[in-house]
Formats: sequence, structure tokens, C-alpha cells
Amino acid sequence: MLLREVEYACPDTVEEAIDLLAANDGARALAGGQTLINVMKARAAAPEVLVDLGRLAELRTIGFSSDGMLELGTMVTTAQLVASSEVDVARPVLAEVGATIADQQVRNRGTIGGNVCVNDPTNHFPPLLVALAATFTIRSASGERVVPADEFFLGVYLTAVGPGELLTKVSVPTRKPDSGDAIAGVTIGRHGTYIANATASVADGGVRVALGCVDAVPVRATAMEAALDGDFSESAVRAAAEGLGATLDPPSDVHASADYRRHLAEVSAVRAVLQAAERAKAGVT
Amino acid sequence: MTTTTAPTTATEQATTLQKGYVGQSVPRKEDRRLVQGQGTFFDDVRRHGMGYVHFVRSPYAHARIVSIDVSEALALEGVYGTITGDEVAIHTDPFFEMSVEPGSRIKDYALAVGKVRHMGEPVAAVCAATRELARDAADLVQVEYEPLDVVVDGEEALKDEVVLHDDAGSNVVWQGVFDWGDVDQALAEADHVVKIKKLHFHRFSSTPLECAGALVEYDKGTGEWTIHCNHQMPGVGAIWMAPALRTGIDRLRFVTQDIGGAFGNKICLHPQFVVLCLLARKLGRPVQWTEWRTDQHTANAHGNERTFLDVEVAVRSDGTMTGFKVKALDDCGAFPRYEPLGCIIWAQVTPGCYAWRNIRVDFTQVCTNKSPVSPNRGYSRMQHLWLTERIVDIVAAELGLDPVEVRKKNYVKAEQMPYETPNGCVYDSGDYARCLDLALELIGHDTIEERRAEAKGRGKLLGLGIGSTLDSGTNNFGQSQLLNPELQFSGNNEAATVKLDIFGEVVVTLGTVPQGQGHETTAAQVVADIIGCTPDQVNVRRGHDTWFNSSAGFSGTYASQFAFTGLGAVKGAAELLRDEMIKLASIVFGVPEDAVELADAQARLKENHEAAIPFMGLGAIVNANNAFLPPDFNPTLNHRYVCRPIFGVVDKEAKKGKLTLTYATQIHACVVEIDEETGEVEIVDYAAVDDCGIRINPQIVEGQVHGATAHAIGAVLHETFAYDEDGTLLTSNFYDYHVPHALDMPTLKTGAIESPSPVAPLGAKGMGEGGGGGIHCVCSAIQDALRPAGGAIVYDSHNPNHRVWEMLRDPEATRANVEVVSK
Amino acid sequence: MSEPTSSRAVSVEVNGETYELEVPARRLLVHFLRDDLGLTGTHVGCDTGNCGACTVHLDGLAIKSCMMLAVQADGARLTTVEGLAADGELTALQQSFSDHHALQCGYCTPGMLMSATALLAQNPHPSEDEVRVALQGNICRCTGYVNIVDAVVAAGETR
Repeated sequence: MLLREVEYACPDTVEEAIDLLAANDGARALAGGQTLINVMKARAAAPEVLVDLGRLAELRTIGFSSDGMLELGTMVTTAQLVASSEVDVARPVLAEVGATIADQQVRNRGTIGGNVCVNDPTNHFPPLLVALAATFTIRSASGERVVPADEFFLGVYLTAVGPGELLTKVSVPTRKPDSGDAIAGVTIGRHGTYIANATASVADGGVRVALGCVDAVPVRATAMEAALDGDFSESAVRAAAEGLGATLDPPSDVHASADYRRHLAEVSAVRAVLQAAERAKAGVT
Repeated sequence: MTTTTAPTTATEQATTLQKGYVGQSVPRKEDRRLVQGQGTFFDDVRRHGMGYVHFVRSPYAHARIVSIDVSEALALEGVYGTITGDEVAIHTDPFFEMSVEPGSRIKDYALAVGKVRHMGEPVAAVCAATRELARDAADLVQVEYEPLDVVVDGEEALKDEVVLHDDAGSNVVWQGVFDWGDVDQALAEADHVVKIKKLHFHRFSSTPLECAGALVEYDKGTGEWTIHCNHQMPGVGAIWMAPALRTGIDRLRFVTQDIGGAFGNKICLHPQFVVLCLLARKLGRPVQWTEWRTDQHTANAHGNERTFLDVEVAVRSDGTMTGFKVKALDDCGAFPRYEPLGCIIWAQVTPGCYAWRNIRVDFTQVCTNKSPVSPNRGYSRMQHLWLTERIVDIVAAELGLDPVEVRKKNYVKAEQMPYETPNGCVYDSGDYARCLDLALELIGHDTIEERRAEAKGRGKLLGLGIGSTLDSGTNNFGQSQLLNPELQFSGNNEAATVKLDIFGEVVVTLGTVPQGQGHETTAAQVVADIIGCTPDQVNVRRGHDTWFNSSAGFSGTYASQFAFTGLGAVKGAAELLRDEMIKLASIVFGVPEDAVELADAQARLKENHEAAIPFMGLGAIVNANNAFLPPDFNPTLNHRYVCRPIFGVVDKEAKKGKLTLTYATQIHACVVEIDEETGEVEIVDYAAVDDCGIRINPQIVEGQVHGATAHAIGAVLHETFAYDEDGTLLTSNFYDYHVPHALDMPTLKTGAIESPSPVAPLGAKGMGEGGGGGIHCVCSAIQDALRPAGGAIVYDSHNPNHRVWEMLRDPEATRANVEVVSK
Repeated sequence: MSEPTSSRAVSVEVNGETYELEVPARRLLVHFLRDDLGLTGTHVGCDTGNCGACTVHLDGLAIKSCMMLAVQADGARLTTVEGLAADGELTALQQSFSDHHALQCGYCTPGMLMSATALLAQNPHPSEDEVRVALQGNICRCTGYVNIVDAVVAAGETR
């Protein structure tokens, strides 16, 4: 409802931001605020210092690395992502998923970096980026390091970004020809919070499948991936997904029992893989 | 987008009543200020030196309060003061209880005294210079609790193992049997008895976007409080508050201006308002409280939760349903307050839309450790109507009958109107079969089987549903005597004033408390037609103000009655004014009264329109230039009228009588598609046909139908106030309590007919609540869709994905609920 | 400039007028607008950023002012509902709302108007579906959205 007293700083450079985060124990980076401000309103968390990243133009760029990865500055808003021609060409599923996040107002402020660092199990981008094998660039006073998606998400609200560090870039491989990406799942109302979802990325006869909402971090459905072995017919995909639910230990809440979530995870995995494979065959996303 | 069929009157007498503005979709007067953000909602009102209040609320569903320490809060700079339950117990008396024993022994104070009985119950309040400081200070109030066992289920509560109110000694608030006709005979004679073990109507509410609240000022010199607020029924609020505050009702002034929706959820605000009154007096400054969304969900007003047990329905082999019996268990949450009336109010629509004559309802209301229940759009009738619609669909399904034919066979017929129900209510007019036909036509009923087959190919189960419902309006408070014969409430009233101001300006004040229903506009339409001007020339003062002197004990906006009582009062006052204006003009012109007419904002000779006195002239004569008037004529051009609907007295023994006067019809039909794998329900086609008699402003009426439908769709598919076993509310914000957003609403097709009410002043029935038609018809459609997939029975009014999936996965579990015993 | 402080001097342009105030860091933009600037047309309807009653324009984009700190708006250009009609002359969209009975209690209306105005600026002739997507972040409990969508589509058609 209303925040506790807090101190606020608005640095002009990434270096200043990192210094502030390192110098103040209870400091948190403030990106779009579409989650953090609510958390603070509810007084579920009360950082002592907010470091506003709003002036850091360096973090707002969309471009390409020399080796053809799509590079997204972490302060790129979901709306910018959705409107970006670079994203549209390089990895359109990012825009497709982004367009279903909440609503226009939230998309105008919410950032990909924020969505990823919050790592709420129901967030859209974490499982998507795991399926896409994205990499994450983290900067600190001592330099930069790059962390692959499978190692980036550590727990609820917990990622590889530590105190005094800042996530500056999310890099996504450009889609290959004859590849396809898709997301499937069930939400609370249209464009609402996910109850269960699965993202699939089919390329070179292989597939990555990442499940959201079933654990503290996105879960790779590795057994299903292995069982698929290049055959994406409906019967093969259904067979590969069988038993997936039983390997999961999802939470129970007012929207879904653990059992129902297990079931939805399986159904979503099948639907996501089938659609991704269909897109791969069609050659477009 | 909507398709509206042209209105057609079911009887001939209708439209000769009103020519002119009534009946037209006149643009709303309220809109100009509201679209510019110039509305004044109570939180927009400021006073110098005001303090902001935050309530400290219980985190436990049931606990003894061991101690409260406010010293740290008081020490915070900027905090003006605090108040706790101990002070409330000293300075106020408990609120009066409506029920008989044991419910009457409950002690209900403005803050928890000694014990908390639901999560979120206010325990203390702090007042500070800013909203943020009040919030901070609340964190510093130390409350020590001793948690007690919790009961969150109505059937469990009946066992009285965990008792909420020690003074009452039982969780039962009220119990009574309603018995009309001879249902035992009907069951004995029936060819089939359909038995349904349990049906459940769930907890949800309309969650108006503007939360509750008030800014309260205390005038030390006069001992009067002014309460700027959004209370939708100030008369009742005052009746509760004044005795508690040990003051006269005339010391409480309620002022409302613009209100952001209420739907019944702004009726039981008296506990918080008493706290504010005490603080304003104690601190010697105005105090303001705005309810947080979380608090509205947790601790304001949930709609009735009702469990129906051991239903038995008597059916003849030709499909005629002759009667039913049921045990109804109403869970009113931690404090009954207004809720005991819910034990009776459903009886306004005892038979639903149907002609059966033998009905027994064994009704019990219990307390549980959940939020108190208070009226919510459709209040108590909706739950009962849902029961009747579930019965019809289950009977049809079990006996292999067509649900459309069963309805038509059993509907009360248009020729039978006015129709007296088994308990003495009179359905004033209506043509249910016609409305049903229109709804089915809008839905494309004849193509359903094709669509069902096509959907199956896409992995979807398609179903058609019907929801028949009544919106009973214009309440007879005498029904409260069926609850408690000692209660001194009966009848109803609403007041209004219409005057010409000093220079002839037309000014209207209402006793009602509009929250979006367009009262300023419809009142202006009625006045304009009667005194001969345009609605633009009628100034209807915004909102409700005790000092307008145009309110009575039952004033407010609730119970779908404005078109009868509110506009009836406006009509009465306008007619008195009209008659006086004509007489005055006739004296000035020296002609008989029947030579004078009012038109174009003038009084003029019918034979010679040039001979005219503008309203300004009339006002000036009476107010500034009256010496020449004859001594025996004393015009005021200022009239107050109280509309008192005539109900007669209720028969307490037989529990019969006219409990309401008007019955609007809404027949809904819809088509759903269910995803066979996930249980997700999508509404792919929707139609609502409304009959509220004469429509004063058709666009406003249609808007109410849209809104009621959205509330119903939200409730049946998404919205629930769900609790865990510790009494923690799991859906306290709009993430988890999902209400329909723009993308969640299907296209609504609407139709209307007008069966004028023979009893209402303008032939217009109250409408607005809607009767929950959308809930009934979506439940109906889901059950129809599931027929080929195991034939699950829809047993709950709330059917989100997970429940539908359960019904797909294990239809037998729900079918075990139903048994048919045939001769 | 870069040291953390618990309050800050901000300069904000709102509806064409510049305001300079010292504001606590923790103050939400919606309360700054309502309580500090007296612009009460923007409303609060929930605690969690779902309802959209607080929607305003920030540098031309529709945003929810309850999920932003006032200090974050330093240097920005804001428009609230009060800034739509010029000298009491309603915009075509505001008039369309009235014509189509797209408001009942009026509480969600300012937010709806801000979201719809932003849509029409970017997409002058939106389809019904595009309108629903644009209004997805604005809850209404009175109208069922039917007439609101009609009003926005109609306003688009007359441009």
C-alpha cells in the first residue's frame, strides 16, 4: 500500500550504479518497478536504498554481437521489445511472449532485466530464455562475466547476480533456419499470470523444453528432450511427455493443486513442442 | 459490441404513460464532470489539519487479544493519536442485532473487544499527519494474541465445537422453516423424485473499484458529526451508528458525492465509521480513512455463501415439477450485521421463474471465522435462483428431457400475471417464455448441434446453457419480521424534493445515493416531462446529503428499487410542484386552471402561447414579489414527497406477504467451449434478454445488464474468496482474485422487451442487480458441455479451470450427488 | 546528485505546467499527483498495480502511477485526465464516452481515457480487439467494457 522510508539515488553511469549497489548493504536496483514497487508497497521487502537505473542509456540498447547474438540491454522495456524490428528478425518469440505480459502500461515500464532478476516462478521470460539458451552478462567492480541460462536462475527471487553486481545484458541466439519456438500454458484470465507453462525451442532436430511455475526456477524437461530424438509426430511427442508430471513437485495454491499443475505441465509441454516443431517445419515463427 | 432487438411491449397500456424524455436514452448529466476527472469522490475531499487513519488488523482468524500497546506508535512524530477496542467498549454500546436468539446475544463493537473473529478484523486505529506515517505507526502498535481454533466451514460450524461468540453460546445466528403448499404430498405423488445431496453457492463480491471510506468532522460546538463518505444506505447506517455513539440520529450528517461503484458492498460501513467518529471527537480534528483493496477483500463485505443440502424435487412424468424441499445453510462469516435479512430475502423469489406450489426451505445461518457477509449484487435472491436453475437442469438431465422444454412447461406464463407465488408475493408482469425464445434466437440455438460437432474436432466440448432469473425490487422491510417478530421495520420509503429556486431554477434533491446508475439523469427526465422543460434545465444535486432534508429511514441505493421508489418520489414531488405552478399562473392570468399548461419552461395559456410566464417569473413572484397573492393561497414552489410503496402487512405465522413489488426478468443464454485437456472454459456466444417494464433510459438499463453480466461471468469462472484451514484469505488482491478485464469478456448480445409494471409509479421496475443470470447460464452450459464426457453435475457456482478439470477427470464423484427415485 | 537521499527536489511538467517540489523518496507518483498537486482526477483502486485507475501519460506513454515513485518522474512530462480537455472542450474520445454510455460510476474512467488516448495517438483506427488489448490494464466493474470498447472504436472511426 505505502512504502517504508527509503533512500534513493539516480546514477548517470553503470559504474556509478554498481558503486552504489556495492557501497550500500540494503541496496536494490530499481528498473521498471512493476514488481519491486508492489513488493515494497506490501512491505514484503524493504530495501534501504533504491538505485534507479532509469538514466542508464547504455542499458537501453538492442543490437547484435559480432557473433550474431541478439543483445538486449537489461533496461529495454517489454514494449520496446515487442516493437523492435531487430527482435522481430532475430528471435520473434520474444516479442510474441512479451505482448502477452499483463497489459500495455506494465509493458511500457517493465524491463527484461527486471523480469529476469525477479525470477518469480510465474514470470514469462525466465523459462523462455532457458529454452532459448540465452546468456546473461553480469558486471561488477571487478569486471564482467557471462552466465548461461541453465546456471543463471538459482531460486525464487534469486539469480546469479550477487550484491554489488548488475545484470547489463541478455543475449539470445539468433534463430536458425528451420527452427521454431513456442510457448503454451494456462493463465489466470487472458494475458494473466501463468498457472503453468512450457516453452519449446526446436532446432537441428533437437529440442529444449523449459517448464515454468512448477519449481523455484525454470525446469528443463531433459528426459522428454532425450526421448524425442528428432521425431515430432503427435504420438511421439505425447509418448515422450508421459510421466513428466510425476517427476515434478509443483506447489499447490488456490488456482491449481499440485496434481493439476503436474497435468498442465505435461499438456503444455506437448502443445509447446508440437507448435515449435510445426513452426520449424514451416520455416517461419 | 451488442445487437439489440427493438423493444416491443408485451401489453398495450405501456407507452401512453410517458411521451417525451422518459423512454429516451438521454445523454447523462453526470458524464461531463466525470470524463474530465472533475468528479468528487470522498478521497478527493480535504480539510485543514486532517489526519489520516490506518487500521491495525488481526493476522489471525480467531484469537484472544491478550494486550495492545500503542506507546511506540504514539511516540512517532506526526502521529496524532490512536484508539483501541477497550476505548470503544467504554464510549459506545454494541450495535443492535437483527436476529432473535441466539444471534441476538452477539456483541458487535466497532473494534474487536477481547477477541478477534476473522483475519483482517480491525483491532486498533492510528491517526497521523500523512498516509505514510499512519501506515508506519500501525506497524509500531504491538498486539499480543493467543490463537484459538478456527472454523471456516459452515457445516463444521453447526457442530458448535469452535464457537465464535461466547455471549451467544452457539454459531447459529438464526434458524427457521418455510413451508408452503404440501411438499410431502407432492413428493409422494410424484412420478419421479430427483434427489440432490449438495449444491454450493460460493463467496465472492462485486469489488467496486473505489474502496470504502470517509472523512469525518466533529463539531464540538454542536455535537454534530459530518461524514463525507460513500455509504450507500445512510439511513440504515445512522440507525446503527447513533445508538452506538449514544447520540441522536439528527447529530449525524451523511454527505455523499460521486461514488465509485457500490453494489451492496458499501452498506455495512458503520463499524469503521464509528471509529472515525470517535477519533474525530477525541483528537479534535477531521480524520480520514480510505480502505485498502486488500482490506476490502479481507474484511469488508463478502456476498452470501450458501450450501443447499438434501434437495428433493417432485416431478411428473410429463415434466411438470410440482415442488421441492431443501435445507439451506447460510455462512455469514464472523458477524451477522445486515445478514440475518438474507435468511428471508430469498423468499421474494421462492419459486424462481416456475409455477410449482409446494416448497419447503429449512434455513439456518451460521457464523464462521471468515469475513462478514453483507449484501452483494443479487443479494440472497441470486443464490436461491441459482438453486432453482440447477434443479431444472439436473432434473432435465437425469430424466432425459430438453432443458428448454422443461423451462417453458414450468415457467409462470404471461397470461398468469400478476401471479401470486406460494408465499404471497406477486410477480407483477413478465413473459419468461418470450424472453427465452429471444435469447435462444440471439444465440443461434438451432445450430448448436453442428457447432458441437465442429468443436469436438478441435478438442473442445461445446455446451449451451440457459439462466433464468428475476431481479426482485422495491423491498418490503416487513419481511424482517419473519426473521424477528420484534423488529419494528416494515414497508419502505424514499424521498425527493423538487423546487423552483428564487429565480425559477429547477432544483431536485434525492434521498438515493447513486453510484453510477445515472440518477441525476433519469430524475431530470421525469421532472422535465412533468413540469414542461428539458432535462438540461433541471439541476439534480449530486449525491445524498442529510441536510437536503430529502431522505427517510430507508433512503439509499440498493435492492433494485430506484425506478420505483426513487423516481416515484421525484414524480410525486414534481407533480405537487406542477399543480402549484399551474394554480399560481391561473391566478396571475385570471383564468381557470385547466386553461394553463406548462411547456418550454413556461406557464402559458393553452389557447395563446404568447401569454406566458417563464419559470423565472413564477419563482420571483413567490420569493420576491408575493404581496398580491390571495390570502388563502400560500405557494412555496418547493415540495418534498415521500414515496411509500403499498405492501400491506406481512403474515408472520404463514410467512406470507408482498415482500417486494416489482420483478424484472433476465433470461440469459450462452455457449461455452471447454478444453478437454485443461478444463479451461471459454464463452464463445452470449445473450441476455431483459424485461424491466418501461425503460426510463434504455441506454442506462442496457448498461446495467452489461455490468451485471460481467459480475456474473467473473464470479462463475474466476472470482472466489477462498480460505485455507487457518482462516487466511487466499485471494486478497486482484492478482489472485481475478476479475474480468477487457479481453476476458465475450461479445454480449442483448435484447429487451417491456412488460410494464402495473404497480410502479412509472410502469418501470427496479433493475440493476440482475439476479446473477450469468452464473446460472454458464453453470448450465458447462454441465451441457460435459454430458458426453461422463455427464458430471455442476454442483458449485464457481467453476474455474481446476474444478472443470476435476469434473472431466472424475465425473462419477459429482454424479454420486444425484439420485432419481422413480415410480 | 548520486548520493542516496530520503527526499529529493523534483521538477515535473504536468498538463503543461511545471511544478517544483521537495518530495519524499517513498512517495508514489499517484499520491504526489493527488495529494501534493491536488490533481484528484487520477484514482487509486487497488494495492497491486492491477486496476489501472491510476493510469497517466509519462513522456507520451501510458503508465500506472501507483507503480512509480514521484522522484522517478523528475524531469518528465506528464499528462493526467485533467489535461485532456482544453478549456472545458471535450476531446472526441471524451465525447464518445458520453455518447456511448461508456461510464457509469466514472471511477475507472480517467484511467480508461488515458489508455485509450495513448492507443489512438499510436493507432488512429483500432479494431475492437486492438482496443481490448490496449484497455487490458484497466479494470471496470460497472460496464462490462461493452460500451467502453464501442466508444473507443467509434472515436477511431471519426478521425
